[in-house]
Amino acid sequence: MSAAATGDAAWRARRRARLLREGLLQGAVALVVVALLVGLAQNVAANLEARQIKSGFGFLRDPAGFNIGELLFEYDARDSYLRAFAVGMANTLRVSIAGIVLASALGVIVGLMRLSHHALLSGLGGAYVEVFRNTPLLIQLLAIYLLATELLPDSAAALSLEGVALLSKQGLQIAVPASGTHALFGAGASGLVAGAAVFVAARRWLTVGAGLVGGGAGVLVALLAWLSFGVVGGWSRPELDGFLISGGASLTPEFLALWLGLSLFTSASIAELVRAGALAVPIGQWNAALALGLRRGQAMAGVIFPQALRLAIPPLASQYMNLIKNSSLAVVIGYPDLVSIANTSINQNGQALEVIVIIMAVYLSLNLVVAVVMGLVNARVTRAPR
Amino acid sequence: MSLNTLVTAAIAVTTLGLSATAHAGKTLDAVKARGQLVCGVNTSGPGFSNADSQGKWSGLDVDFCRAVAAAVLKDADKVKYVPLNSQQRFASLQAGEIDVLSRNSTWTLTRDASLGVVFTGINYYDGQGFMVPKKLKIDSAKKMNGVTMCVQAGTTSEKNVADYFAANGMKYKSVVFDTAEAITSAFFAGRCQVYTTDMSDLAGARTKAPKADDYVILPQVISKEPLGASVRRGDDEWFQIVRWTQFALLEAEEEGLTQANVDQQKASNKDPAVQRFLGVSEDTGKLLGLDAEWAYRIVKQVGNYGESFERNLGLKSPLSLPRGVNNLWTKGGLMYAPPIR
Repeated sequence: MSAAATGDAAWRARRRARLLREGLLQGAVALVVVALLVGLAQNVAANLEARQIKSGFGFLRDPAGFNIGELLFEYDARDSYLRAFAVGMANTLRVSIAGIVLASALGVIVGLMRLSHHALLSGLGGAYVEVFRNTPLLIQLLAIYLLATELLPDSAAALSLEGVALLSKQGLQIAVPASGTHALFGAGASGLVAGAAVFVAARRWLTVGAGLVGGGAGVLVALLAWLSFGVVGGWSRPELDGFLISGGASLTPEFLALWLGLSLFTSASIAELVRAGALAVPIGQWNAALALGLRRGQAMAGVIFPQALRLAIPPLASQYMNLIKNSSLAVVIGYPDLVSIANTSINQNGQALEVIVIIMAVYLSLNLVVAVVMGLVNARVTRAPR
Repeated sequence: MSLNTLVTAAIAVTTLGLSATAHAGKTLDAVKARGQLVCGVNTSGPGFSNADSQGKWSGLDVDFCRAVAAAVLKDADKVKYVPLNSQQRFASLQAGEIDVLSRNSTWTLTRDASLGVVFTGINYYDGQGFMVPKKLKIDSAKKMNGVTMCVQAGTTSEKNVADYFAANGMKYKSVVFDTAEAITSAFFAGRCQVYTTDMSDLAGARTKAPKADDYVILPQVISKEPLGASVRRGDDEWFQIVRWTQFALLEAEEEGLTQANVDQQKASNKDPAVQRFLGVSEDTGKLLGLDAEWAYRIVKQVGNYGESFERNLGLKSPLSLPRGVNNLWTKGGLMYAPPIR
């Protein structure tokens, strides 16, 4: 053995030893974790076997046999459990996406209200946040739902905006173009094209707000296109037909209550994130913006808000994930989300373990998608140097 | 509710994952050692299992728990009631949280063959029906095309109603709630035009309406719902005790033995069948792992099946259900016990 190596050689030797040590340690930990998981799985399987409880995922192909109240695509009781779960997942997605959009909009508005110098505005904003953030979501949902079902009239005496909308215990029904999905796709496509065109054009002479202008134009064009589909192709209007209101598109009281409840509850937290983000921007930025002659609104939109976003986006992602997970409270007010469908399935076939694994996998993947998307957004807004 | 799902998951994972061996066979010893029978009942099922304002349980299913306790522990009051909703019930039994599930549960092939539980008998022959507000003027289930229907999650009703409407070429919209309480409040608020579940449950729910007379139960019965108790698989000794407890309740009614007259009958009735049943001449209990007076105590402490029925469901109770098919076979019903000898 030569004398201890010196210089680079010694460093390399130490590094090799360190990597080896760390590798071994990590390998050992990983092995223990895997062994535990395998042991648990085997024990579960053995116990299920010993108690003669049926197991496995084969049931997904069996006919489900139960009806689901709200459908985004075709389903009937003869379809498979797999399709029933897909319907449930679509319902979860629908209320989550609608909730995220409304909660974000409300959250930004209320957050800005709280930052306002008008006592009334900031006071109202403060009250909103305290009320919705400090009462349990479950209670809010039940309250909204009970109010809706108690106060709204029966379908026979529905509140009617002649030929356009009906509001009753059956929910909100609105007239839609008779061409249905064609109208939706057409409107969406024209909105996208118009929005993109306006955005590209606007970027030439606007430094801030081009996205907002483009988005606004897109929504407007989409709306006009959708209406023109109705004007040209005729309308499908809601009408009372026996016990059912037929025609038009409908939003059930369950969906409305859940959507509203999730949005109000989450928007209170988002408002606080917006406020925290804005207040965390150094006061010098305000002073500098005002000294340059910007008005308060301009300074907020062009200087403070973009910087506040950087601070707000990571916690915003967790709020979105919370909203998705909270949507599982749907089951108390009878909205057929994934958990509600799963509950029914568990009782029809008794395979609780498998169904719960499915629920967890779905929520996990939905939230991973949110994490990835919000990660990309975050990378985009933090690209500029701090 | 997601909470229930979590509870189910927790029970399933903890018991299935962590218990080293599946236990089989020793429920009787465990119950005796504990000195208490743990009985799974309905959270709120008027007539079947319902807790009053003092927390005292009563009902047909509760009486059954009491009868098992009287036979096994010699005291009908030594029962701990575990209220369970429909999604929790079988998981709770599988996991060993309860000894007997006596919670108006329908006996079906799937449940009997694949849930790790086994039904011990039938204590109420029920069927699924419909309740509607009078003002809708629906007089037949066939005239319900297009209705919105309140259904409870995790029940056989969900499947039956889908089958019935498909068979009759009708459509409906379902609103599925988690608990019976949520359904009744939504139904009485007018969210649904129809509430469907077992006839006996409908009669119970109707007693909770703001004005019971505003609602009618339609005559059509669309399914067979034989309700009964169940136990875990793999313990035949315990299965026999629970099954024969139900038969003893029926046999007592058939022999004319009641809570009031059983002592006098025990002393004076010379009918060999009665003497055998009450443990005077023969020890039938020994074969079940019980003592000679097991059946006597059931009658003495709980009463016979007919008494339990009249007390909880019969015409003098708030539900005022007729005995109908739940009468003894000797009186034109379906209730029949094999001979106790």
